[in-house]
Amino acid sequence: MLIDAARYAWSVSETAEPNSPDGGDVVARAATAYRALADLAETIEDEWQYVTDLVDVYLPGIQGLAGAGPERLGIEQVEAVDEAIAEIGLISDPHKAIDWLSTFPHVVGLALGGDVDRPAGGEGGAFPADGIPGASVAADAAGPEPDDDSPFRLLLGRDR
Amino acid sequence: MRFQDAAKDARTVVYAGIQADPLVARVAALLAEATTAERLLARAAMNGERTEPETWRRIFPSLFGEGADAALSRHAELVLAASLEIAGRGEAARSQYRGAVVEELTARLLARRAGPEEPVRRERRVLFDGVRAEIHPYDVTVESSVRPEVFDCKWGARGINADVLNQLDDARSHAADEDVALEVAIVVFDARRSCELRLDRATAEHGRTRLVALESLDELGEGSR
Repeated sequence: MLIDAARYAWSVSETAEPNSPDGGDVVARAATAYRALADLAETIEDEWQYVTDLVDVYLPGIQGLAGAGPERLGIEQVEAVDEAIAEIGLISDPHKAIDWLSTFPHVVGLALGGDVDRPAGGEGGAFPADGIPGASVAADAAGPEPDDDSPFRLLLGRDR
Repeated sequence: MRFQDAAKDARTVVYAGIQADPLVARVAALLAEATTAERLLARAAMNGERTEPETWRRIFPSLFGEGADAALSRHAELVLAASLEIAGRGEAARSQYRGAVVEELTARLLARRAGPEEPVRRERRVLFDGVRAEIHPYDVTVESSVRPEVFDCKWGARGINADVLNQLDDARSHAADEDVALEVAIVVFDARRSCELRLDRATAEHGRTRLVALESLDELGEGSR
């Protein structure tokens, strides 16, 4: 698969600015906020397992973003993550918290140009920022290939 | 096997009013032409606490930042404004609006590839010989005589539950008993990985139920299934 750098969110800030913030710090703040969101979501007893599963997948995904892009980030990227952190900090309803446990990692991944599903050395985010409206996104829409033995191969429609 | 309009009760009449709101059609039309990143923006904004557009522009620099494509930014502005209109309807109403948007979006994407012999319909039940009819209709159906399809639509992965999965698989199974290859799918306006986690724990049969998640919505409008 060819990598088109312009398709990914790094293109927003292609070069790190002087004295720009460290990517690790931003990611650490996002991970801390995500843990707090999970604590709130866990209060829904019936959803404890789902919450645990989300955190097991996405927390390492968020943490992996620290090594997925440039060491130094653009101001826009840092502001984006901090605004997203502020947004989830306003949530008091645990049901909403569960919704955001699914959404927040991808928002952060998009802002930082990484992929929380494939944080280490992936070819870009699952939510590419590319393209004009209406442009084909079929290649990305297909999402990452599941493992050969994945029970989701049929679910994902790969064999159709 | 045949399709039938769902019976209308008080709840469906109220919900039909939401489905018919022009805002639902406008949001769905915008999302049908949106990139995956814009769809993520819509999900976040419609789930969000804050309704000031500038907040969301800052959260999505790849759509609104200095380096963003101008045409993409213009379209993303429309997506954001419409999404915030739904968020502004209040907590009680917004969940119904969001559900209606996913249904309308699904129908619009399917209509891209459905021919005149494959009408895309809403709120339809499927009847099978000798089988008691399900109470809940399917959100969207493609009523092809050759390859019919039924779709259940969900705003979030949490909507995936045993009742939904059982109903879809039962329909597929009953159709197979009549030698009809009924395609069954669940469309979820949420991240694929989150849906997969939900399905991983599901005990209801779903091995032949197709998942269409937020990242792959455009598959609905593509010719080959």
